[in-house]
Formats: sequence, C-alpha cells, structure tokens
Amino acid sequence: MMDETPNSGALTPDPELLSVGRKRKVLIVEDEYVNREILSAYLETEYETVCAETGAGAREIIRGHFDSLSLILLDLNLPDAHGLEILRWIRGDVHLSRIPVIVVTSDAESEVESLNLGAIDFISKPYPPEKVIRARVRRVIELVETRDLVRETSRDHLTGLYNREYFDHYAEQYDLFHPDEPMDALVVDINHFHIINERYGKAFGDEVLRRVGTAILGYVRDHGGAACRRYADTFLIYCPHADDYTVFADEMAATAGDGVKGRIRIRTGVYSRVDKSIAMNLRFDRAKSAADTIRNDFNTAVAEYDDTLHGQEIYAERLLDAFQEALDQKQFQVYFQPKFDIRPDMPALYGAEALVRWKHPELGMISPGVFVPLFESNGLVRDLDHYVWRETAAQLRKWKERFGKVIPVSVNVSRVDMLDPELLDTLRGLVEDSGLDYRDLHLEITESAYTQDAKQIISTVNTLRGMGFVIEMDDFGSGYSSLNMISTLPIDMLKVDMLFIRNAFSEGGDTRLLQVIVDIARSLSVPMIAEGVETREQMLALKDLGCDIVQGYYFSRPVPAEEFESFLQG
Amino acid sequence: MLTVDMLRAWGADTDDGMRRCMNNEAFYLRLADRTLRDDSFDRLKEAVEAKDRDRAFELAHALKGVTANLSLTPVQKPVTEMSDLLKAQADTDLSGLLAEILSQREKLLKQMD
Repeated sequence: MMDETPNSGALTPDPELLSVGRKRKVLIVEDEYVNREILSAYLETEYETVCAETGAGAREIIRGHFDSLSLILLDLNLPDAHGLEILRWIRGDVHLSRIPVIVVTSDAESEVESLNLGAIDFISKPYPPEKVIRARVRRVIELVETRDLVRETSRDHLTGLYNREYFDHYAEQYDLFHPDEPMDALVVDINHFHIINERYGKAFGDEVLRRVGTAILGYVRDHGGAACRRYADTFLIYCPHADDYTVFADEMAATAGDGVKGRIRIRTGVYSRVDKSIAMNLRFDRAKSAADTIRNDFNTAVAEYDDTLHGQEIYAERLLDAFQEALDQKQFQVYFQPKFDIRPDMPALYGAEALVRWKHPELGMISPGVFVPLFESNGLVRDLDHYVWRETAAQLRKWKERFGKVIPVSVNVSRVDMLDPELLDTLRGLVEDSGLDYRDLHLEITESAYTQDAKQIISTVNTLRGMGFVIEMDDFGSGYSSLNMISTLPIDMLKVDMLFIRNAFSEGGDTRLLQVIVDIARSLSVPMIAEGVETREQMLALKDLGCDIVQGYYFSRPVPAEEFESFLQG
Repeated sequence: MLTVDMLRAWGADTDDGMRRCMNNEAFYLRLADRTLRDDSFDRLKEAVEAKDRDRAFELAHALKGVTANLSLTPVQKPVTEMSDLLKAQADTDLSGLLAEILSQREKLLKQMD
C-alpha cells in the first residue's frame, strides 16, 4: 500500500498548523449586537474572539488579559464611554500600550483623531468586505508581533533601556547621521551593587537599577543620545557633548537612594568629545577607566577621562605584555628588608621580609606599588608570588650553607594564592626541595583576605599552620575585621598597617590608636610587628608602647641578598 | 418569516448585505430580523419627541452603523440623514425623517408577521 503522507510533512510540521491549537485572542468592543455578530463571524475561524459591550466591560477584560490579547477592535460609540477615552487609557499604560487597537467607526472625522491617539488602523462602517477586514487584522497582528520581537531582543527587561548590541548599533547610526556633532561616552556604575543586593534583597537591588535606568532614560530623552545597561550594574550613555554632568549625577544618586538608610553611591566616568576614529567599545573603556579612578573617592561622583589616564593604561598594558619575559629572564629580583627585635636593650636581627623589585631593561626600576596591584587585578600575581617564594627559598638555602644558620623570612601570600587548590602542595614541595624547615618561611596574609571568603581562607591557614608555617597577618588595621573575629583567627604574628605608624608619628598625630593595636596583639598573645619605622624616636616610642618587632628605613631599606649578608655576619 | 425576496422587494441591497454576512442567508436574515424588531426604533421615537437630541443622536448613530452593515437601505437612508443632522447640531425639524424611518420599518414588520 502506498503511504500517502509525505515524510517531510510529518517531520516538519507547518508552524501555521502548530499555532492553530492556541488561537490568538482578539477583543471586540462593540455595543451593537449585529456588528458584534458580524465581526465575530469574520474572525472566529482564525482567532479566539472575546466581546465587550460597554467601556467598563472592555476595561475589565483588557486589564485581565493584557498579556494575551493580540488585538482590540474598538467601536467609538459606547453606551457608557467614548472609545477615544478607552484608547487614551490603553496608550497611557506601559503594560497595555503593547496591544494594537483598530478603531471601528462610521465617523470619518474620528479616524484622524484615533490615529493620532495611537490607533494602529481603522475600519469604517458599513464594513468593507470580510476579506479586507481579515487581511487588516492579520497584517496588524503580524506587524506588532514583529515589533515586539525586536523590542524584546533590543531592550533590557528591567530598565527598558537598550541592550548592548542594539545600543552599539544605535550609537554607530547616530555618528553616521551626525558626523560633526561632538559626542560624550559615559559609564555609570553603582558602587558595591552586590552589597545593596545582599543588604536589602534582590528586589530592592532591581528597584535601584530601575530607578537609575529611569533617570538615564529621562536624560537621553531630554538631551538626545541613547543608553543601555551592561552587566548587572553598569550603564552606558552615548550623547551629545555637555560640559558638566554633576547635576545629572546628583539626580541619579538622589533617586536611587530615595528611602535608603545608607547612601547609594553612583560613579560616572566621562570620555568627553570622543575620538570618533576609535572603536565604540574603546570609547566606553576610556569612560570606564575614568569612573574607576574615583572608586574609593567618596566625595567625587563624576570623573573625566584624560590622556594621562590613557598613558597609564598604555603603560599598564606594556607591563602586562612584558610579564612573562620578565619572569623568564629573571628581571624580578628579591630584596630583603631586615626585621629587628626591639625588646632587648640592643635591637637584634629577628628576620626579614622578602620584597620583589622589577628591573626592566628599558623602563628601569619599576615600583612594586605600580606592578603589584596590576598583577593582583588579573591573577598574574600568583606566578609572581611563586617566583618570589622559589627565589627566597633558594637564597635561604644558600645562607644556611654559608653561615650555618637561617633567619625566618616572610613572603607575601596573595588572596588568589589562598584560593589556589594547589597552594599546599606548592609550598610543601618548595620547603622540602630546599631542605628548609617550615618555620623558616613566614607567610604574610593580608587582613582583608580573611574577611572575604573567610571560611575557606581560615581553613587553609589552619592547614598551613598545622604543617609548621608561621602566619603573619599583614596590613592589620586596614581590613575592618572585628575584634571578635580577630580572636578566632589562626595567626602567629600581627603586622600593623604602615598607615597607623605614619598617622601616629605625623605632625599632630597621636599614638592612641596604635596603643589599641598593641593591646589587641597583647590580648591575642602574639608578637606585634611594626613596619615603615623611619626614625629612632619612632622606634623608641613603639618600644614604650610594647611593640615587639620593627621593620623600616630606620634599620635598613630593602636590600639585595648580597648586601643583606652583612646583617647575617654582624 | 423574513425572506431575502421580501427584503429585496422592500428596497434593501440584499446582495451587498448578504456579502457582508459571508453569503450566509440564515445569518443575514437572523441579524436583519433582530435589527428590525429591536426597540431602538421606539426609543429613537421617544427621544426625538422629547427633543432629547443627544440621546437621539446616540440612537440614530448606532442604527446608522447597523443598518448600513446589513444594507437595510429604506431605513438606513433616513437614519443616516438624521444622525448627520444631529451631529451637525442643525436645528431642523426631525419629525419628517422619524416618520419615514418608522413607516418603512412598519411596512416590513407587517409582512414578516
């Protein structure tokens, strides 16, 4: 027997057929029975029709079915309302305005008014032939569904702003049609948005994003341009040049923070009068880098990009490019700064801290203050730390052989290292291969590392201590850990943040805060190390306060290994 | 019983009216029957006689749309004229038009019963 059903038909069902199961819903608002009957008869084979005979009935159905209505056919003369009132109501509501309305009227004058009010089409009475009405209905529904699809994919649901792709497209179009108009690229960033989410809940976080989005939408409506949301909490604006954005920035912060106890801080980076020869994303990278310069400056809301910043970026880029070669060619050198025990009458060498220096063949000595934060920001610091640990261990081994003794040397362990699953193996291998004792290597872990990912870090530190490493908490006082928390942390020594020393001994400074730190160290029964100590007076004052160990220019700057040997011999 | 022949003889453009009803004779006759028996005509009479011109306009306007859709020409013409006059707020005497509308309707209703 012949199979009469072609295979292709069975495998690929016609989308038209699929949609039959769920007909699109059309609302007919018409008080006259005859007219309702005729329109329903025209449409009911293709659509699910619902009817309302009054304005009130229409409003009720529209409210209840706004997300499933594909079209409204609206008669203008209703017993309790004029159709144009209903039309105005629909167009004025964000949720309802999506639904297309075809006005049905025997009154030619109302047609123009209907179209002006946002009706998408009109049908006159007496009705044109059935096929004309059906074709118009079908065309309008198709048109609107296509429009919705475009809107769906081009808009960010939360804020109603463009999404990134459409934004870029829009911005490029804008340049095309306004080649001589000076333009600004803005990046608007909500500071610590994840904290807002955590503190007040995601619903409120979304509300803040919506508020900022609305303020931005208002700005581009008034001043031209376009805006989009990128990632969770960053907005991009491309708009005609303005000299000053502080009023706008204040406005955003005010709306966003309305009804919030704490302040919501919004940073705006401006790349003014963009260079249109560079790619769109680079223009916003520049605005973003301007915004980042005020990340920690709570008094400034708007920052402009300037070429120095660009210079810094290029410099940073160059350092990143040079990193691997620098490792391979041993351009990084490990310096040692001695630590002295000041408890005895004569300060005695206690140990040292290993510090990295970069001697670049073309750029010369590069400050660790420049390259360490850079490598920390992208994880390269892990490779750098490993390098420093290896060099330090090798040096300690040499000194052990030459002088028959070893002093404890501390090395920095960055936050990324602490999250590295291979950390324990790496350190174990290092100590065992070089024939050192675990206690010869002190690990400096910055206080702020303990406050983020606290559980994991604390468990890693416990394991390290179990192996025999001595743990120094670095930058103590800068990380806001509570006293309560400190007392539970696994540490062997506290190293006070240099800022406390500087503040205590600067003009008009006072040492009370320092005394508090010393007391904390006392209460934890761990030695306290002060770094950045520059004068004899400071050293003596620290000794009086009860500080145990001191590091700083007063004794020695960080020096290369050969130079450090004089301390070991002495 | 209303028939298409009856309507045609009365003066309705039945081809046009039938076309608008998808050439479904039963559907067309049902709607025409209902329209002619509707009490809108009586209410229109009351409104005109009471000189309630707003109410008269609403009713005439509604009848205009319905009779046009069904091409009930003998009533459609005077109803349309009345609706247009009321809309233009012309201060004309409507009794002639009203009489015309009512007598045309009556003429057909007699045959139907």
